[in-house]
Amino acid sequence: MPNILVFAETRGGALRKVAFETVSAARALVDANGGGQVHALCAVPSGGAGLAEQLGKHGADVVLTAENPGFANYAREAVAATVAARAKSGGYRAVLVSFSAQGRDLAPRLAAKLDAPVAADVTEIRIAGDSVVVKHPVYANKVIATLQLDGPLVVLSTRPGAFPVTETPRTATVESLAPASDPSAEKVVVKEMQEGGKGKIDLGEAPVIVAGGRGLKAPENFKLVEDLAAAFGNAAVGATRAVTDEGWRPHSDQIGQTGRQVSPQLYVAVGISGAIQHLAGMRSSKTIVAINKDKEAPIFKVADYGIVGDVLEVVPALTQAVREAKASG
Amino acid sequence: MKIAVCLKRTPDSESRFRIAGSGSAIDETGLKFDIDDFASYAVEVALQINEKQAPGETVAFAVGPDAVQETLRKAMSMGVDRAVQLKTDAPTYDGLAIAKALAAELKAGGFDLVFFGKHAFDTSGGIVGTATAELLGVACVTSASKLEIASGKGTARRELEGVAEIVEFSLPAVVTIDEGIARPRYPSLKGIMAAKKKPLETKPAQLGQPRVTVKGMSLPPDRPPGRIVGEGVAAVPELVRLLRSEAKVL
Amino acid sequence: MTTSIVVFLLVLTAGAGFFALNVQRLVRYLRIGLPENRTNDPGKRVENVLSIGIAQSKIFRDPIAGPMHAAIFWGFVVLTAGTIEILIQGVFNAFSYDALLPDPIYRFYAFSQDAFAVLVLGAIGFAMYRRLVLHPKRLEGDKLEHTDALIILSLIGGLMVTLLLTNAYAYLAGSTLVGPEKFASRITAQMLGRSVSNPALWSGVFWWGHVIILLVFLNYLPYSKHLHVVSSLINVYFSNTSGPGQKGVMRPMDLEAEVEQFGASDVDHLTWKNLLDGYSCTECGRCTAACPANITGKTLSPRKIVVNTRQRLMEKAPLETGDRMEFVHPRLVHGEGGDAGAATATQVVADRLLDTYITEEELWACTSCRACVQECPVSIDQLDIINQMRRYLVLTESRFPEEVQPAFESLERNGSPWAFSPGDRARWADGMDIPTMAELLERGERPDILFWVGCMGSFDDRAKKITVAFARILKACGINFAILGQEEHCHGDPARRMGNEYLYQMLAKDTIGTLDRYEVKTIVTSCPHCFHQIGNEFPDLGGNYEVIHHSTFIERLLEKNLVPLQSENGKRLTVAYHDSCYLGRYNDIYDAPRATLKRALPVVDIVEPKRSRDRGLCCGAGGGRMWMEERQGKRINVERTEELLATGADTIAVACPFCMTMISDGVKAAAADVPVLDIAEVVAGQLAS
Repeated sequence: MPNILVFAETRGGALRKVAFETVSAARALVDANGGGQVHALCAVPSGGAGLAEQLGKHGADVVLTAENPGFANYAREAVAATVAARAKSGGYRAVLVSFSAQGRDLAPRLAAKLDAPVAADVTEIRIAGDSVVVKHPVYANKVIATLQLDGPLVVLSTRPGAFPVTETPRTATVESLAPASDPSAEKVVVKEMQEGGKGKIDLGEAPVIVAGGRGLKAPENFKLVEDLAAAFGNAAVGATRAVTDEGWRPHSDQIGQTGRQVSPQLYVAVGISGAIQHLAGMRSSKTIVAINKDKEAPIFKVADYGIVGDVLEVVPALTQAVREAKASG
Repeated sequence: MKIAVCLKRTPDSESRFRIAGSGSAIDETGLKFDIDDFASYAVEVALQINEKQAPGETVAFAVGPDAVQETLRKAMSMGVDRAVQLKTDAPTYDGLAIAKALAAELKAGGFDLVFFGKHAFDTSGGIVGTATAELLGVACVTSASKLEIASGKGTARRELEGVAEIVEFSLPAVVTIDEGIARPRYPSLKGIMAAKKKPLETKPAQLGQPRVTVKGMSLPPDRPPGRIVGEGVAAVPELVRLLRSEAKVL
Repeated sequence: MTTSIVVFLLVLTAGAGFFALNVQRLVRYLRIGLPENRTNDPGKRVENVLSIGIAQSKIFRDPIAGPMHAAIFWGFVVLTAGTIEILIQGVFNAFSYDALLPDPIYRFYAFSQDAFAVLVLGAIGFAMYRRLVLHPKRLEGDKLEHTDALIILSLIGGLMVTLLLTNAYAYLAGSTLVGPEKFASRITAQMLGRSVSNPALWSGVFWWGHVIILLVFLNYLPYSKHLHVVSSLINVYFSNTSGPGQKGVMRPMDLEAEVEQFGASDVDHLTWKNLLDGYSCTECGRCTAACPANITGKTLSPRKIVVNTRQRLMEKAPLETGDRMEFVHPRLVHGEGGDAGAATATQVVADRLLDTYITEEELWACTSCRACVQECPVSIDQLDIINQMRRYLVLTESRFPEEVQPAFESLERNGSPWAFSPGDRARWADGMDIPTMAELLERGERPDILFWVGCMGSFDDRAKKITVAFARILKACGINFAILGQEEHCHGDPARRMGNEYLYQMLAKDTIGTLDRYEVKTIVTSCPHCFHQIGNEFPDLGGNYEVIHHSTFIERLLEKNLVPLQSENGKRLTVAYHDSCYLGRYNDIYDAPRATLKRALPVVDIVEPKRSRDRGLCCGAGGGRMWMEERQGKRINVERTEELLATGADTIAVACPFCMTMISDGVKAAAADVPVLDIAEVVAGQLAS
C-alpha cells in the first residue's frame, strides 16, 4: 500500500494540465498496488484550498497547501525545501513531479535533498517489490530504456502527455503547510515574466508546425499557411530556404540544415518538395503530413500522411476541417 | 572568472541505434562520439564569458572511461584551459551518484560558475547539473537560454511553456545551458594542436553504489511507412480522421 | 662625335642601370614569399611558353583584342632586333646589320621592322580607340589605371613614330640605309616633303627621342601594370604544367609542421610564384569578366585578388627587405581596391593582405570553377591565392560563414556533409542485388570495378535516381562491379575546397585506407567532384587509383556496343548540355558527355548555350558553395539556367549531381517546364527492356 507525494504544478495560482497528469498517474500507481494515499502538494500565493476539488477529482486524497505571497512565481528553493521536508516526514514510496520546465528544475533538487534515486521523463511506472521500474525514452526518443530504482523513496518526473488525465473523484482533505524556507529569500530571484514574443509561438516550442515552400507560388499565399496554423491553435509557421531567400518570409522562419531544426508533434509541409537540406531540419518530427502537387516529390518518402493535390485548394479545405475538429473537441 | 564546465561524451544525434547483445545498452560499433550538444553550448558560453572578462580560467570536467579524454581534448581545442577526468568504467543512469562525484571534486575548486548542459543526449534526464548545485549549496538556474554575468551577479532567461522567466542571482552559481544561447565555435587547427599540450588530469570518480540501473533497452516500434491518403480536396476528411484517431495529434 | 657617344653611354648606363636596380629590387621582394620548387618538367614548361606566350594562344580567345595584342607583342619581339641595332649605333654611329647579314636576309629584316612598326602603330591606334571610345566593360578601371594604360600606349606609339621619323629624315638626308624595304619610312619621308631643312639633324633628334622614350618606357615598367612585359613569359614558364587533371590539383599541405599559422593571411605566406603572378597581371580583366560570382554581382573579382597581392607586396616588401629608398619604391600600382593601403610604417605592419585588401566575402564567393585561370593570358593562378587564404581563415582563425559549420561537423561525425545517418547510405540499392566489397571479399571474390557513389548520390533524393540509372546501365552491360555501401564516406573534397585541410586529410586518408584494404584498382563514379578528388588529388596522399567518370565510362560502353539500346526512338530531342566545371576545365572532358548523348539518342540535336565548353558558366555549387548561402546579387544558378533555357532546348542534360540540383532549382525559379536529366538517366531511359 504505497503512498505517493505529488507536486501539483501551478502557475499564477491555477493548476496546470500537467498537475492533473501527475496526480492521475499517482492514483493509477497506488491503485495498481493495493491502494494507498495520493497527497498533492501545491505552492500558491493564496487560495490553495480552492484547488482541492480539482485535485480530488483526479484522485488526490490529501491536498497540502503551502501558501505564501512569495509563491506568486516559482520559488525554486522554497518549493524544493517544502516538498522535501514533507517527503521526509510522510512515509512515501515516491515523489512525483511532471517533466515540465518547472519539474525539470525541481526533481533533481528533491533527489539531492532526500538522497533518493531519481529518474526523469518517465513514460511508465511500475512497483516491483523493493524496486520501482520505469520506462524512459532516451537518445532523442530513438531508444527506450527500462530503469530500476532501488531505495525506499524514489523521485520521478513524468513525461507530459504520457500519462492520461483520469477522473477518480473523492473529497480531498486539505492540510496547510508552512513553507520550509522563506520564498522571498531565494538565491535565484524571478525579476520578470515575459510573454513569448508578441504571442508568436517559437518554432522550437511549438507542438505543431505548418511550413510552406515554393509550391505556394506567391508570397500572398502564405496566408493559407498562417490560417491553417491558427486553426490548430498552438502552431508555429515555418518556411523553406527557397521562400526565405525570395524574401517571402523572414530568415528566422527557415527550417532546414542552415536554419532551425525542429521536432514537433505534428509537422505539416505545404508545397514543399523535400530537398535534402530541408529534411535535415524536420525529419525527426513525430508525425509528418505533406501536401504537394507532385506525387514524386521526396517529401512523400518521409511523410506519414500525404495528399497529392494543389495546395491552394487543399489547404483551405484542411483549415476548415481542422477548425471543425477542434470545435467539436 | 574561474568557470567549470561539466561535459559528457555522447554519440552523434543523427545515428541510427541498435541494441547490444546484452540487451541493456546500445551497440556502439560504428558510432561517432563528440561533446554532448548542450554541453558544447555550455563550453562556448564559458569561453565567451572569460573572453569578455579576462583574465580567467575555464576547466572541463567529465565522468567516464578513458575514451572521454578525447572529448576533453576537444573542449580544450575550443579554448578550455585544462581538464579533469573522473574515471569510471561503468556508465550509469544514476544522476545523483554522478552529481555526488562531481560535487566532491568541485567543492574545493573555488569556481565562480559551474556550467552543465541542460540534459544529455543519451540519458536525457537533466539531473546531474541541478543535483550537483544542490549538493554544493549554491544558487542554481536550469535551462538558461540567455545569460549575462557582471560584477558577481548573473541574469538569465529561462524558457517555460509559452512564457519566459527572467531571473537574477549572485555568484557562485550553477547554470544548466539550453540551446539558442551560443553557437559552439569550430576549433581551429591551431587550437587542436595547442590542446594536445594542455593539462589533463585523471582521478578515480567517487561514485559509490549506483541505485539506478538499466534493466533493458529496446527500440521503439518502427515508424510505419507513410502513405498517400488521397488526391485533392476529397482526401481532407480522411486525413483529419487519421490525424485524430491514429496519430492522435488533433 | 665623341661627346655624343659619351653622353649616349652615360644615358644608357643611367637608364639601364636604374632599371636593373629596380629589377633586382623586385626579385628581392619576391623572396619574402615562401619558397617552392617549380623546376620539374622543363620540356612542358618550354612548350607552354611557346604556345601561351609566344603564340599568344590564350590572348586569341578574345577575337578582337586578341589580334590587336598579338600584333603589339610580336611587333615588340621583332622590333627588338632593330632596337639593338639602334643602341649599337649610339656608339658606332654608322652601324647596321647590313654589314653582318647577307643582302636578301638584311632586306627581309629591314622590311620586317617597318612592317611591324606600322602594324604596331595601327594596333596602338585601335587600342586607344577601344579604351577611349568603345569602353569595354572589363577595362573599366579607375582613373589611375586608365592613365597608366594611356601612358604606355603613348610611349609605344611614340617609339614607333620616332622610329619612322628617324628613318624618314635619314632618308631625306640621303642615307643609303633606308632602302625600299623600309617602305613605311619612305612613305613618311614623302609625307614630310623634300623642303625640310637639315634633315640629318632631325634624324638625330628623333634618334635620340627614340632612345630616350625607350629608356623611359623601360624604367616606367616597374611602376606600371606593364611590368608584365618583363615577367609574363617567366611567369608562364613557372606556372603549373597543365596536363588535364593536374591543373586543378590543390596545393598539398604538411599539417605536422610546427608553424605559427596555416594558410596565407599576407604576402609573406604566399609563395614567390603567387607574388610573381602579381607582377604579371596586365589588369586585362578577362578573368573577372568570366567569373560567375562577379558576373552576378558579388564583390569577388579575380583581377582584384591579384592586383591587391601586388599592391600589398609593394607596401610590405620594402619594409621587410630593409629597402630605404622610399622615393623609388615601385608603389604606383593601383587598380581595384586602390584606396586600401597604409600611410605609415606602423600601419603597414598592422595591415595585411587579408581584411585590409581582400575581404572574407570575396574569398567565400568563389565557386572554384577555374574560369579565371582558364582565361588568364599570362597563366596567373588566381584560385591558388584564394585557396591559400581560405585555408588560413579556417585553420588558423576558424573564420568561415556560419552555415558552413554544420557541414564541417557533419563530415566529422557522419562522414557526409549533410546530417544523414550513415546507416542509410546504401538504401538506394535496395532490391537491386548489388554486392558490397565486404560481401565479395567474404566470398573470396573481387569486382572488376568499384562504383563510388558519393554523398549526393547516396542521400539526395534526386541524385539517387542518377545512381540507380547508372547502376542499371552497369547491370545491363553485365559489368562486374561492387559498391562500398556503408563503408563509403566522404573523401573530404568539400572540406578541402572550403579550406579545411585538416578535416580533409583525415577523411581522405581514411578513405585511402579503405580502398587499399580492398586492393581497389579501378573506380567509376557519377560525381565529377569525387572523380577529380580521388583520381587527381589522392595521389598526393598516397592513394593511386584509376578513376573514370561515368560519362566517359558510358561512352566507352557505347563505343564497344555493349549497351543494349532500344531500336525505336522516334522523338527528336533538342538537348542543351551544361558543362560541369570539374569535368570540363579541370579535366578537359567536354566531348564524352556529348558523344554519349549522340550515341544514345540518335535523333538528337545538341545545342550549345552562349557560354559553353571551356567558357561554360558554372552552376554555382563548386568551391563548397553548395553549403553556403548566396547573399549578394543574382543567383548564379539562375543566371546559368536562363542561358540554358535561352537555347530553346526541350531538355537540359548534366553530368554532375551538384549541377543537377542547381539547374533544377533554376528551372523551377524560371517556372519553366524543361526536364533536367543526367547523362546516365538519358541512356538508362533508352535501355532495351
